[in-house]
Amino acid sequence: MEAKVEARPVVKVEAPAPAWEDARAAAEQHEIKMTARDVNVYYGDKQALFDVSLDILDRSVTAFIGPSGCGKSTFLRCLNRMNDVIEGCRVTGAITLDGEDIYAPWVDPVQLRARVGMVFQKPNPFPKSIFENVAYGPRIHGMIKSKADAEEIVVTSLTKAGLFDEVKDRLHESGTGLSGGQQQRLCIARAISVNPEVILMDEPCSALDPIATARIEALMEELKENYCIIIVTHSMQQAARVSQRTAFFHLGKLVEVDDTTKIFTNPKDTRTQDYITGRFG
Amino acid sequence: MIGYILLAIIALSLISYVIGRRRALASVEGRQEELHSRPTYHGAFVAAWVGIPAFLLVLIWLALQGPVIDQLLLASLPVGTTEGMDKGQIGLLLSEIRSVAAGNVFGEPSLVVQEAAERYQRWQMIARYAMVAAAFSLALIGLFLASRRISPEFRARPGTERITTWLMIACSLIAILTTLGIVISLLIEALRFFDRVSPLEFFFGLNWEPQIPIREGQITAGGAFGAIPVFAGTLLIALIAMAVAVPIGLYSAIYLTEYAHQKVRATVKPVLELLAGIPTVVYGFFAVLTVAPALRNFGEIIGLPIAPNSALAAGAVMGIMIIPFISSLSDDAITAVPRSMRDGSYAMGATKGETITKVLLPAALPGIMGGVLLAVSRAIGETMIVVMAAGIIATLTANPFEPVTTVTVQIVTLLIGDTEFDNPKTLAAFALGLVLFVVTLALNVLALHIVRKYREKYE
Amino acid sequence: MSDVQTIDRAELQDYWTSAGAKRRLRKRYAADRRLQAYGVIAIGLAIGLLGILVASLVVTGLPAFLQTKVNLDIYVDPVKVDPKDPAKGNFRVLVRDALLAQVPAPETDQQKAALVKILTSDAPYIVRDYVVAHPETIGQRITLPIAVSDPFDQLYKGVIPKEVEALNWTQERWFKQLENRGVVMAHDGRVFLKLDVYLDSAKVESGDFTALARDSLQTYLPDVKDPGLFAMLADDAPEVIRQRVEAEPGLAGKSVQIELPVSAPYQQLAEGKTPMVLNSRFSPAQIAAFDALIAKGLVILPFNWELFFNADSRFPERAGLAGAIAGSFYALLVCFLLSVPIGIAAAVYLEEFAPKNRFTDLIEVNINNLAAVPSVVFGLLGLAVFLGFFGLPRSAPLVGGMVLSLMTLPTIIIATRAALKAVPPSIREAALGVGASKHQVMLHHVLPLAMPGILTGTIIGMAQALGETAPLLLIGMNAFIPSVENMGILEPATALPTQIYSWADSPERGFVSRTSAAILVLLGFLVAMNMVAIALRHKFERKW
Repeated sequence: MEAKVEARPVVKVEAPAPAWEDARAAAEQHEIKMTARDVNVYYGDKQALFDVSLDILDRSVTAFIGPSGCGKSTFLRCLNRMNDVIEGCRVTGAITLDGEDIYAPWVDPVQLRARVGMVFQKPNPFPKSIFENVAYGPRIHGMIKSKADAEEIVVTSLTKAGLFDEVKDRLHESGTGLSGGQQQRLCIARAISVNPEVILMDEPCSALDPIATARIEALMEELKENYCIIIVTHSMQQAARVSQRTAFFHLGKLVEVDDTTKIFTNPKDTRTQDYITGRFG
Repeated sequence: MIGYILLAIIALSLISYVIGRRRALASVEGRQEELHSRPTYHGAFVAAWVGIPAFLLVLIWLALQGPVIDQLLLASLPVGTTEGMDKGQIGLLLSEIRSVAAGNVFGEPSLVVQEAAERYQRWQMIARYAMVAAAFSLALIGLFLASRRISPEFRARPGTERITTWLMIACSLIAILTTLGIVISLLIEALRFFDRVSPLEFFFGLNWEPQIPIREGQITAGGAFGAIPVFAGTLLIALIAMAVAVPIGLYSAIYLTEYAHQKVRATVKPVLELLAGIPTVVYGFFAVLTVAPALRNFGEIIGLPIAPNSALAAGAVMGIMIIPFISSLSDDAITAVPRSMRDGSYAMGATKGETITKVLLPAALPGIMGGVLLAVSRAIGETMIVVMAAGIIATLTANPFEPVTTVTVQIVTLLIGDTEFDNPKTLAAFALGLVLFVVTLALNVLALHIVRKYREKYE
Repeated sequence: MSDVQTIDRAELQDYWTSAGAKRRLRKRYAADRRLQAYGVIAIGLAIGLLGILVASLVVTGLPAFLQTKVNLDIYVDPVKVDPKDPAKGNFRVLVRDALLAQVPAPETDQQKAALVKILTSDAPYIVRDYVVAHPETIGQRITLPIAVSDPFDQLYKGVIPKEVEALNWTQERWFKQLENRGVVMAHDGRVFLKLDVYLDSAKVESGDFTALARDSLQTYLPDVKDPGLFAMLADDAPEVIRQRVEAEPGLAGKSVQIELPVSAPYQQLAEGKTPMVLNSRFSPAQIAAFDALIAKGLVILPFNWELFFNADSRFPERAGLAGAIAGSFYALLVCFLLSVPIGIAAAVYLEEFAPKNRFTDLIEVNINNLAAVPSVVFGLLGLAVFLGFFGLPRSAPLVGGMVLSLMTLPTIIIATRAALKAVPPSIREAALGVGASKHQVMLHHVLPLAMPGILTGTIIGMAQALGETAPLLLIGMNAFIPSVENMGILEPATALPTQIYSWADSPERGFVSRTSAAILVLLGFLVAMNMVAIALRHKFERKW
């Protein structure tokens, strides 16, 4: 169905062909990893998210898109309870991981954040060596009992993040001495080191150059085989390139969530259409 | 007298200001717009050229008058009067002449002294009148020359502003002058000390007994100037102080930055700063009044003899004084670690304590180290607490229950009393002062260097 | 890129829910709570120590704000005081007679002198000054409040006790040891020690019964070397031995058991009471006289205004801070007049006019270093240059002020620069845009806006200077100033912190409380100055 647009041509986005033609069949192949029901977030008196409900599928990439300040990062941070760290922030509603409410009183945020990892917009490696950066998480969660353990985990994580070959000779140099793209991959390796099930990425490529961005996007493609990846991005093209499902946020509300191809070719909501055609940004 | 002269100069400058202003207005017959600069600048220009040279003349004259007259006086004494006298005795002679001239006569001064006193009085008067005359003439010359330049085209404002700029530069140079003054005066006296006592003995000797008998003819015999016990005592007390201040200061800073509510932080931080505002003489008295007796009683109870002026008492109180240095600088260092570090750590599933100990503190370490070094520098240079609470006898010991003495205590005790400038006791104080200055300077520079070099550049 | 193996999710689940995981988690949180606890303890310690400091100062210092005085009824005998020259009158006798009229009469002159010691030694001068100022009182009776001397001042305020324990812990232990051996007997209202006395023939011959008594006691406590042990025996103990020997001369050379009476304190101890003895600072006659004065209602405890208006004195009851406060005032005045103009000028130059080259860098580094130089080094500088080279008078507030101004200069420069930096560049640009010169921009626009910050920094700098002691000590500014009359900027002077130091050194009890009181006065000034600075900052704070 052609979108009703006046002078501007419809932007036809070529999404990378998924492995399955039928979206329904695709949903059946993937389990639901995380759900949100009626989530509201308040910063003091200001409300940032209004009744957000959606499902996130496992072993796939879900993208959150929307204009600045629409609440997509806020919602992302709810998924690993990073909003707990902010004073005055209140979250209501239910968010589950594998069917269990992560805001239940007996759930420990410390353990939750090992299962739901996070990569930030600006690479933030610790001022430690590359080795120690990656070993940090496993150490505090008691996964490392010997030097051999540490080495194995570090090498595996760096390999999975596609960084090992570049840094294998300088594992004990400072992590902050790497280039931007390498630092971000280091942060991804760090997130992977504790064997998370979900990886959250908050605009992971916005501080990187196009070549580094391409590498990370390729990495995401690999990682999605084993992890549930949720990425916030302000680049619609990126969302179209890497994700299987896309959710569009606007002014704190979830406007529409669907398969990526559907969102970019045949959105149901006019707001979605206006956004992807560039009417507002 | 000097006050009146200065007031006269100020009055003269004000008069010149009015004269200058009038002349400027007169030169354009009242039409101010035709002047390059406003009349007030013309006035200020003249006033500056009148007041400043005269003022400088008076300052320099006063500064040099003393030494110059002293030299003339010595030269005027009958030949042989000062034969065989060392500098200290010459100084005494001059003091006597000055006292007699001022009317304080003790006993029977010799004829030579009396005559010299009369000469001194006369010369003082002559010098005083000469100075007034010179200053006055300089002011008048300045008035004449400056007011001649007044004309409608005269660029008075830039001229005045140039003068102002030079004044400001002079003021800025005072900082350098002060440092130079410190270094030079310390060096000169210290070198005179090392003329008498070998540097080897000073820096490596183990015996500090600077009791020099002040008798005629005695020079250096009878005093030991081995400063190692003094340095050791300084280090011991500084160490005790750090042992008190670092744990309390660091843990307080950690709690206030990471755990405390905003309101708690807002009330507790100023209270900790209070500790830094209390004058050190108050701490010294507190040490003597309360801490030392309490420690001694405690020692009696557990059967350990603790001296009333033990290193522990002085060091502990000094530690209390230093707490705010550590807590404030550590607070700054920890707060400077950017949010992204904290977020990164929490996102990995770390507890607050782990984030602090494994991420924040290592990241803030250069800043904290800088703070510790600055605190050590402060502890070493601290005077009143140790003067009142620590010992005077230099014992070489590592036992905190015994009394020790420090560099600053020795400087004070050596100089309170008579201040003959050639007595090795006095000079020893300057030698100690030089060591103190160099060491504290080095520590400060090192602290700054560490903070600058190792601080992670967080863009 | 690389081989990505699949992860076993089931294994992971077990890992996070295992008992080991729970235990690890508990330990981690425990460590977190411990860290928090350490923080609270540290803050508690710091605040607690501050509290102890303030408390000990207040407790010891408050009594000094009151002074015990006696309202003395004095007859200004015209025989003793010549109306033509009142200052030369014999006021000492007037005071003595006035005092003795009120108390039980003593016998000897020595006792009279001891009674007069109840009043301050300055008493004759107090009366003299009053009579000289009011000559019409010659021939009249006047009542003047005369301060008492320090021991009685402390006694009346309850700082030192009237009676102290007669025996210390060691002496009581000796007695206890003897009790345990069973040699303590009590009968006929007296307590005795039943001791084996060896009647050494030589000593019996020479009649040295005291030695016999002592030796016998010593044998029971051989380890005690303290000769105070022998005070345990009553004065008539040797007499008892002598009587025994006289009664039975044949005992010479033998050992015999004799009951030796004990002295009064030990008698009381045996009876279970705590033996007290009059504080050795007072004689019984003095105490009786003092009690008589109190009974007559002549002893008052008014506010000690002399603490603020008197100059220093050898006698703590008459010592005041007037000289110190005046000296500090002069020194701070000089400091202010020197450091503020120079500091502001230097800061303005460095911040607004100076080109960014190595020379100005050097000046900045210098200023920062000077701020960290120990204060005693400035004292050495003052001594060597101001006193030594320029020959300025020792101990003068001018020199003190000059040294203090060198120390305050970096503070003022740094504070002024911060205040100047806080003024936004838009103000400067706007002024330049209407054609003002750089100097005019500074003088007319920027400086007035930065003034509150500069003032705050100045007040804080002055407060720091007020508390500085070491450099003033080195230039001798802790002279003994018994009168404020000849004070000037070039005359020897003292300052508040150096006065505190001098008084702290004095042994009299009265000076201990006065030192604390002087500290409280100093802290009072500092608090006031800081409050003014904070109030200024709040009032003029502008959010750009």
